[in-house]
Amino acid sequence: MQPEQLLTCALDIGEQMLISGAEIGRVEDSIRHICSAYGCGRTDVFTITSSIVVSIEDTDRKFYTQTRRITATHTDLTRLDRLNALSRRICAARPSFDRVQEELQHICSGKTYPRWFEALASALIAGAFAVFFGGSWFDGLVAAPLGFALRYITWLLQRARLNQIFTNVVASFLMCFCAISMTRAGVGHDVNMIIIGNIMLLIPGIALTNSLRDMISGDIMSGMLRFFDAVLVAAAIAAGFILAASMLGGAV
Amino acid sequence: MKDAIIQILMGYLGSLGFNILFNIRGRKLLIASFGGLISWAVFLALESLLPSEAIRYFLSAAAVTVYGEVFARIEKTPTTTFLVPSVIPLIPGSSLYYTMNYALNKQWAAFSQRGFYTLQLALSLAVGIIAVTTLTRLLTLVRKKLRKAEFFSHFH
Repeated sequence: MQPEQLLTCALDIGEQMLISGAEIGRVEDSIRHICSAYGCGRTDVFTITSSIVVSIEDTDRKFYTQTRRITATHTDLTRLDRLNALSRRICAARPSFDRVQEELQHICSGKTYPRWFEALASALIAGAFAVFFGGSWFDGLVAAPLGFALRYITWLLQRARLNQIFTNVVASFLMCFCAISMTRAGVGHDVNMIIIGNIMLLIPGIALTNSLRDMISGDIMSGMLRFFDAVLVAAAIAAGFILAASMLGGAV
Repeated sequence: MKDAIIQILMGYLGSLGFNILFNIRGRKLLIASFGGLISWAVFLALESLLPSEAIRYFLSAAAVTVYGEVFARIEKTPTTTFLVPSVIPLIPGSSLYYTMNYALNKQWAAFSQRGFYTLQLALSLAVGIIAVTTLTRLLTLVRKKLRKAEFFSHFH
């Protein structure tokens, strides 16, 4: 494999791993292992949540560099699992460029659940957490269809290429507006529980936990990026909620 | 007791829902969702012993990380596959909601107090995970070293 090709492969895999929800440490380790498996003298990897930079030195002491910009993430743990296996296979067998690209293509076109099924899962999440946090069965039953609708709304907003903050304000606003007016009309006991169940779908809890994990394990830059991202999203959700509650006459 | 069982089951279902969104499939889907059940069961079981929620968050995160590390090795997959789904019931969603509610009602003292409390819970969660991952990494390293030493001892 040519050095440029090696870089392309290593970065493609790293990029997909990062998008699928890998930790920074895992991405950097995988890239480093792949490059050293093909005999690179020196490999420098720098990864943050939105970018990867890799520079390698070949046997003639020439340096090559490539970068990738990551704009969106979509947690897909099956894809991550397969990428991880691929990177191990590459280190063990050192396949050709075409072979790696072919396998990568295969992994990236892997199966995902259909959209209606994801919406059903969202309904399950909203309903289960409404009861989990102390709501009645009735609250759970009201929260579930809202969760179902919320998934489609978020999807539509994302497809309209609205930015993440605005998407969350609008989604949170619509959800809270429906929840509050439905409870006022007698559908649902405790509006707090219905909203909390649905907030679990929106809040960046995993992102917040991961940001703290990154920071504690030494990836300060990524940690801070993820942390502020999570805080901004939380603020956006709060803004949507406050907007809906104020429009419907203040305190919930 | 009945309430606890309902809550644990709901934590399991909520975690299952998220695992579908994370595209986990087959047997891994069952293992990952069961982690959500464990994390909340540990949290509730320690309630009478340890009144502090933050400490219980730390301990259940640690317990569930052990679970994730073990099954990641059995299933030969990154630890994240089982770790992320398992901690889902521990995400302080309701705490965040009450923080927002204080902001809505302009109770700023309660708002900042609750806000920091939410952050504290998230921090306990993260530290619990890190503690176990670091320990596992250390153990793997020691085991590798021992195996190497054993290998070379054949030549003497």
